[in-house]
Amino acid sequence: METKLITAAVALLLGALFTLLLSYTMLFSKKWDPKGKHCLVTGGSSGAGRALAVELAKAGAHVSIVARNPERLQKALEEVEKARKTPEQVFRCYSFAVNTESGSVAAIEAASEPFGGRCPDAFFLCAGASRPGFFIEQSEASLKQGMEQTYYAQAFTALAATKAMVKQGIKGKVVFCSSILGYFSMVGYSTYSPGKFALRGLAETLQSEFMLYGIEVHLAMPGTMYTKGYEEENVGKPKITLKLEETDEGATPEHVAGVILKGVRNGKFHITVDFIGNVFRASSAGASERNSYALDWIHGLIGYIALPIWRKSVDTAVVGHRAEHQEYLRERGFLSV
Amino acid sequence: MPDAWVSVSLTSLALLAGLVLLAASVNMFGLSKRWDPSLKHCFVTGGSSGAGLALAKLLAQNGAHVSIVARDQAKLNKALEELEAARQNPQQVFRAYSFSVNTEAGSAAAIEAASEPFDGRCPDAFFLCAGASRPGFFVEQTEESLRTGMEQTYYAQAFTALAASKTMVQQGVKGKIVFCSSILGYFSMVGYSTYSPGKFAIRGLAETLQSEFMLYGIDVHVAFPGTIYSPGYSEENRVKPKVTLKIEETDEGATPEVVAKIILDGVRSGKFHITVDFIGNVFRSSTAGSTERNSYALDWVHGLIGYIALPIWRNSVDSTVLKHREEHEAYLRERGLRS
Repeated sequence: METKLITAAVALLLGALFTLLLSYTMLFSKKWDPKGKHCLVTGGSSGAGRALAVELAKAGAHVSIVARNPERLQKALEEVEKARKTPEQVFRCYSFAVNTESGSVAAIEAASEPFGGRCPDAFFLCAGASRPGFFIEQSEASLKQGMEQTYYAQAFTALAATKAMVKQGIKGKVVFCSSILGYFSMVGYSTYSPGKFALRGLAETLQSEFMLYGIEVHLAMPGTMYTKGYEEENVGKPKITLKLEETDEGATPEHVAGVILKGVRNGKFHITVDFIGNVFRASSAGASERNSYALDWIHGLIGYIALPIWRKSVDTAVVGHRAEHQEYLRERGFLSV
Repeated sequence: MPDAWVSVSLTSLALLAGLVLLAASVNMFGLSKRWDPSLKHCFVTGGSSGAGLALAKLLAQNGAHVSIVARDQAKLNKALEELEAARQNPQQVFRAYSFSVNTEAGSAAAIEAASEPFDGRCPDAFFLCAGASRPGFFVEQTEESLRTGMEQTYYAQAFTALAASKTMVQQGVKGKIVFCSSILGYFSMVGYSTYSPGKFAIRGLAETLQSEFMLYGIDVHVAFPGTIYSPGYSEENRVKPKVTLKIEETDEGATPEVVAKIILDGVRSGKFHITVDFIGNVFRSSTAGSTERNSYALDWVHGLIGYIALPIWRNSVDSTVLKHREEHEAYLRERGLRS
């Protein structure tokens, strides 16, 4: 009788501790409110960037979208306007190339003008593009372009934003958009994964370093998003890569934006968008700040069993593609006689 | 009835334990196919100093042909003398080539030159050890310094990998590419914004190619050493922020020779990720995700230790950074970085 009581008590205690751990991270952590905050969104005229800009507008923020194409920017601004909640909200769009520090600085300066020179409170860095292909068909130029379109597209804006926030003493936020291909990689992504991994490396550095300033860092790691960018990406994507991604369930940019904003509100460092993302996140976390120590245990356990099985099927498909690939190379005059 | 169940359960557990031990030993005692460097042509970038030079000498000691590539001719000449001192037999070919490998053209030229003594046949294994580190606070960086950081970490190896891959595929050589990332390719912290991104990028490239090269039968390895007591390390520490030095105070580094030995052992036994010490193993296991594991069993142990120990370690790192705030404020003010 006594043993049963003790067992029940221990079980209840453990259950309570577990629930407490869960809820602590979910309910009692301080939430960030975009209302009245000035949010700058790069890559803000299309895809997830535009969707985020609209979400932020719905949440009552001031929104500055930055991109290159003026027509697309105008159209995006109209959509943001439709999401207006109060007459005080300031919505602007700015045409700048942000893959240089000077371009990013100019964009931030322009965006700060309506606010008496005060720089934005949060920077959502969504600029980026993907041009997959076989490694042996790449060149120095295409690998460099890949790094430009993934890493530099966000790093220099982060640099300019940081200097401005530190100068002005603003305890703001920097939100990077990496990719699930920043957790793992596979055939076809040699122009993409390195830069997405690099963003993760930068975010990891800054999450630590910004404790010197009270600036917060977030890192979004979405998978497939049904955007124009995705259609363009698939044009050049190797057949074998397309085959491996056949069963992938993508998400709309609106859905992804919703999840990212929720993660930023809740103070999550790594923000993943679906179950697969959670499993990868938990299985690759290392020393990274975890959102939930308890939940990650479950996701990590699932990953430990499921990921190698999934990976084996990927490897098998690649090996099975060898003969077709040799033909492909022969056609292009790649192989020695 | 209960006794039978107990017997079955115990036997199953014993079988399982046996299987796990077997799996562990296959990788530990090298019962899997081992690669032998003897009379293979090994091409080493960054081969005139640090871990690259140590690897070149070790490969020479193991009977390989060795071509070292770097920029400084004087350093290359000295290195070549050290290779000669490690010669095992008269057939071995040792050469040193001065090229900048951080462009595809430079890398292709270096590989062509190195292939000449072998009638144009390209090397069998490429050890990409070129790289440098210039840490500093992010807020003090510029576009130029961030680009230089990427040059000195990622591009220093990526373009050689590109040239090497094209050549191996063209000639049908089922060779190896060995990248040198860093434990700062598994995690990062204050001071490494010019370094970690590129080291993470190397990991991203290695992960892509490990999959993609199954199309060609080319193996990929990536090493993740921690602190190496090399001339490069002294250079690095001259500019490193005080708070970063403080956090690294208790780090035990390793000599280039020790690191080289572990890397070569890892390449011999077919390990994809090669880590150099216990901490490295813990990080490797805790960040593996879907990456091919060397030992599914051992990683469980390392991963469990990491799950408990890494957050504790991380917390102490964060505390050190937070305590440094005041000193850093003064530092920023001195440099006019605060309004």
